[in-house]
Formats: sequence, structure tokens, C-alpha cells
Amino acid sequence: MSVSTPQRTRPAAPSVEPSRRAELYLSNEELARAAGISMTTLARLMSLGLVDPIAPGFGSPTFSAATAERLRRMLRLHRDLGVNFTGAAIIVDLVERLERERNRSGR
Amino acid sequence: MAVKFRDYYEVLGVPRSASADDIKRAYRQLARKHHPDLQPAAERSQAAERLKEINEAYEVLGDAEKRSKYDALGANWKNGMDFSPPPGAEPGYARAGEWEDVGDVSDFFASLFGRGTGGRARRGDVRVTIPGNDIEGEMPVTLEELLRNTRRPITLNGGRSLEVEIPRGAREGTVLRLAGQGGPGVNGGPPGDVYLRLRLVPHPRYRVAGDDLDMDLPLWPWQAVLGAEVRTETPDGAVTLTVPSGSQTGRRLRLRGRGLPRADGSRGDLHAVVRIVVPERPSAAEREVYETLKRRASAPADRPAGG
Repeated sequence: MSVSTPQRTRPAAPSVEPSRRAELYLSNEELARAAGISMTTLARLMSLGLVDPIAPGFGSPTFSAATAERLRRMLRLHRDLGVNFTGAAIIVDLVERLERERNRSGR
Repeated sequence: MAVKFRDYYEVLGVPRSASADDIKRAYRQLARKHHPDLQPAAERSQAAERLKEINEAYEVLGDAEKRSKYDALGANWKNGMDFSPPPGAEPGYARAGEWEDVGDVSDFFASLFGRGTGGRARRGDVRVTIPGNDIEGEMPVTLEELLRNTRRPITLNGGRSLEVEIPRGAREGTVLRLAGQGGPGVNGGPPGDVYLRLRLVPHPRYRVAGDDLDMDLPLWPWQAVLGAEVRTETPDGAVTLTVPSGSQTGRRLRLRGRGLPRADGSRGDLHAVVRIVVPERPSAAEREVYETLKRRASAPADRPAGG
């Protein structure tokens, strides 16, 4: 899926939604909410080493938005295909690696 | 309403005589094969479309009641034929007011079963609905946009336009999350998110090194030897730089706090990296000076050490 940038000359903006604040970092609570899981499940995934905070002691926001993306993917694999969390994490890693290799050979 | 007939047996690749178990097995295999999260980003949206068809087919064939209603249409229909529901087949329970909210099924499906049944969460089944697809994409950004967390209009694949504020601290490869801006949730599920991976468009003048920026500072040999005050552009406007005497190529002159903004409000540094440029066509006068310099240089060897 691609996102295209609009043309330079934008006609009197018909349907552009007002500015959305993009998130870079998420706190524990925000990440759990983003992934639709409980704090307990998040804590369990963290203790399994499947979800990594950016840096311990970074302050309250500790996860990158990329972590949320990754976690949502893992949870969908778990829910839709019955893969356990460790398996889902491995799959997400492999798909990401596949993608990187493909980008590298495509350039 | 003319809609296209959908051959759900063909979608799942099973004969019309398939048992409930066969159908479930075929469905699970296809779901595993076409799950968007198993595909590289470029193929994800295509897989999502395919999975939607598979889900729809299973929603009908995996449910005894819906399947018999579907089978009653007869075996003469082919995929893609114009179809109008026979009398009595109209959905009894599709409430018009809710259509837009849940409509993630084909018109064909809706003509038979309505749109209000989008949920596939039957007890004991593997649930393959995705409550609002996430939209993932790359967004090219310029260095200027990272420097002044600007607002940036983007158009998503569906044609929807959003204005995204690029937050402080964003970098090449950073993923931005726009909560709740993805696909609508089916069956009352929450909407998906938009995830944008930033790709930094190379800047002709500044190179990014972590939070810092590097730029070339070309100098004439005499400026490097004697030291100089030079004007140079920075992202924050022109500044006068003091070049210390005896500056070699590669010397880094630091301009504190003129690099990339960090999330905490501080900024990285800008480094002007000295690069000595010799005049390629010296004038007669310059030649003379260099000849004199050559004769009078007190350097101990015929050329600098190293190399």
C-alpha cells in the first residue's frame, strides 16, 4: 500500500480533514489501548521479550509508534490464525526481513 | 439493483458437495495463505481484498442456514453474472440507517443477507474479521519538514485526505501513528490506525547523522591556513563562522543547537566540515605567489606525511 503526496497546487481544499497529531511515542497505557489489549497482557508480552520499550527510564512515553504497528500485526495473527504470541513475533520478524531483502534487491 | 453473482464455492475452491468440515479446512488454509500480515507491505492491500472475499464466502458457506439459502439459488449461476435476488430472498433485517457503518461486504452478499450481519464471531470459530484495517504506507519528507514540524497534507489510497503534523523528533524510518484513521471497523469494531513510515528525501546540502547535521564548508587554501570569518547558510539562516587558522580538511566546526529537533524540545548540532578547495585556474599573480610560497616553505619534507 502506498501513500501518494498530493500535487503542489492544491485546489481550495475540499475535503482535507483538519490536522491530525501524529504520535511518535506511546506510554504503556496508550500502547495497550492502541493494540486493544489489557495492561496485564501487555506486561506478559513484555516479560516474554516480545514487545520492547525504546529505553528503560526514558520517562513516561516508552514505546515507538512502530511498536504499536508491530504489536497489532502480532495480535491479528494470534487472533485470526491461532498462532501463539512467540510464533506471531517470529512471523512479523520474518516478514519484515523479507521486505528489507526485497527492497535491497529491488534497488 | 443489478449485482454480480459470486460463486462462493469457487472462492473457497471446494465442490458444491463439500462437507462442513471440508469447507472449514479450505477456509483455514486460504486464510493462512492470504492473511495480509503475512505479506510484504507492497502486497498487503491486495491480500486484504482477497481475504475479504474469502471471509465473505466462509460467512455464507460456513453457516448451515445461509448456505442452504445460497444453495437454493441453484447451480446455474456463474461468477460475475448479473444477479437480482429472487422474490423472497431479500434480507429482512438490514436497517438502511446502518449500512454505511458496517458495509464491508459485497453488494451480492448484501442483496441476500443484508449488511447488518457483518460479524463472523460465531462461538467456536476462528475469527478472521479484521476490525478496521490498519493502513500502512511510506511518506517522503524533506529535511525542512523535519526541522520545522510542519503540517503535511497526504492522500490515502482510498482518496481520503488528511493533514498530518510531523512531530518533533521524527527521523528517517520513524513510524508515525494516526490513531483511528484507518479502515472502518466491521460489526462495530474499532477503526484501524494509519501507520506512516517516513522516508527522508536526501538534501543537497545537509547530511543527517543522528540528531546532528553535517554540511560541507569549502574554503580557499589561504582561508584554511590563515583563518577566516566566512558567511554560510544554515537551516536557521545565514551565520558568520570563525574558521581557526590551520584548519585541515575534515575539521568540524560545531554550530550548537542548529541540528534536528528532538522530541524533548532540544536540538542536535550542525557541523560545518572544512573542505579545502584549490583554485583550478590560478591567475598569473596567484601563480607567482604560490611559486614564492613553494620556494620559501619551511616544511620538512617534499610533501605532507601520510598516504
